[in-house]
Amino acid sequence: MAELQKAEIVGTPALNGTYISEMDIWPLETQEFNRIYPFYDNLRAGKFTTTKCKKCGHIAYPPQVICPKCWSDELDWVELPQRAKVVTFTETQAGAPLGFDSPLIIAWLTFGDKSPLKHLLGRIVNCKEGELKDGDEVKFVTFSVPAHPIEVKKDTKVCERVFYAFERVK
Amino acid sequence: MAQKKNAVIVGGGTSKFGVRQAHLLDMVQEAAKACADDIPGLKPTDIDGLIIATTMAGRHSSALNTAPLVVHRLGLRPTSICIRVDTLCAGSNSAIIIAKGLVESGIADVILVTGGEKVYMPQRWETNYTQLAVNDHDWDSAMGLGVPPPFFAMIAKMHMKRYGTTKEQMAHVSVTNYGYGEGHTNGHFAGRTLTMEQALEARLIADPFGLYDCCPLSDGASAVIVASEERAKAMSNRPLVYLRGTGQHATHSMSAGWPGETLAEWPHLNKAAQVAYKNAKLTPKDIDVAQTHDCFTISEIIELEELGFCKKGEGGAFVASGEIGINGTIPTNTDGGLLVYGHPFGASGARQAIEICKQLQGRAIHQVKDAAFGLTHNLSGTCAQHTVVVYGKEPVK
Repeated sequence: MAELQKAEIVGTPALNGTYISEMDIWPLETQEFNRIYPFYDNLRAGKFTTTKCKKCGHIAYPPQVICPKCWSDELDWVELPQRAKVVTFTETQAGAPLGFDSPLIIAWLTFGDKSPLKHLLGRIVNCKEGELKDGDEVKFVTFSVPAHPIEVKKDTKVCERVFYAFERVK
Repeated sequence: MAQKKNAVIVGGGTSKFGVRQAHLLDMVQEAAKACADDIPGLKPTDIDGLIIATTMAGRHSSALNTAPLVVHRLGLRPTSICIRVDTLCAGSNSAIIIAKGLVESGIADVILVTGGEKVYMPQRWETNYTQLAVNDHDWDSAMGLGVPPPFFAMIAKMHMKRYGTTKEQMAHVSVTNYGYGEGHTNGHFAGRTLTMEQALEARLIADPFGLYDCCPLSDGASAVIVASEERAKAMSNRPLVYLRGTGQHATHSMSAGWPGETLAEWPHLNKAAQVAYKNAKLTPKDIDVAQTHDCFTISEIIELEELGFCKKGEGGAFVASGEIGINGTIPTNTDGGLLVYGHPFGASGARQAIEICKQLQGRAIHQVKDAAFGLTHNLSGTCAQHTVVVYGKEPVK
């Protein structure tokens, strides 16, 4: 084994180069695999949205199929605030999970008393280590993440994907 | 309905914890053997129920339906219950809650509760990567939240900011727990010692945590016997250790649902503890020895507060004044805890239960004098869920 090049050691040749969604770090965003796909469609339009209950008015996050307060299934899509403040944060230089660049910066964000979404752990992108400070204002940003295939009968459908994070307001 | 029985923990044992050259099922066999060695009167044929707690088995050992695999390897023939449970780091503590209910109701008489994990894989990246799947994957994990140190580092920063907790106070937890780890040869860091200087000068893992503020991830397994009082008396002459009360509470799966005012407040643990104390008909003052989920030094400090052993915000001063030491008001993690004995997620609750069992039977390595009531606690994942079990030398009357 020692004389083999790393690229030749494939372990499971049958899987080599195959997409395995069980190992995917991103959600399956397409409507074939979830009922909250409008969230991702809205992300593509630059909107940060979630579901609001038509019966009791509760705004949930993440978006839902039923209201977690009253279990009504009559829900609307509403927009969430796109700006938040950094309460505290952490910068990971070593040991970030595969697929995330270092420094991986995650912040505890507060959206303010009036926001239905009070707080969130959000990834801070486009930021160098040492740049972020407690109390900084951050804004919502979206970015593309790798597409994945779905088998549709004998064809392959390509599912483009998007996700969101936050960046410093300069 | 037949009269409710009393459930007791009879004894137990663990495999060696650490980076193991062993399969998950090998380590479960080692733990079962250690459990049988601890209870000389136990015959495998006495066991009518099996609960295996594991998180990684499905992914890391390709063993999604783990219980029948354990049945086969241990030669068991369960007739009352044969299941796998998964509440991540609280797996075998959850299994103990289930076993208590099954024994008290008469559905089962003698249950082997075991938990185990094979954490380390041929390539190291895979362990961190799997942890993306133990949080709320599509939301928090997609932000990169997987490996625990960054999350708990933010908790520590908040606790330092709000309550004035210091790195020195946190180091008192690790130094105390290393002292307790002495003599526990199956522990991940068996044989190692730690001074305040070493703790404070260790390399930084995630600010403010140095190396010794963080528990290791471990391969390993543990096993205990939960049985009816009658069956326990038949297999052991040791004092009976009763399962008095339990509580388990969850409020959210991802950060948007965090129940505290900030990350430094854990009201969901406080609630789980209140339920367990009420069921056990005890208060925090009654507890003589505790095993809390010291995944990080700050975790033990906050747990002591939320479990009611000291006032909110005073956990740092409490640990620094020696109250968690063997002669303190609440000796805590007396087998070294997660920080020193190690942390194979599903195995940790049962490992804690073994230590409380031994403490209440008067045969612990670091014995708390006249210990009559004990408590175990686990948190799960990024503090999504809390599990508390209270034990006593007398049943609830």
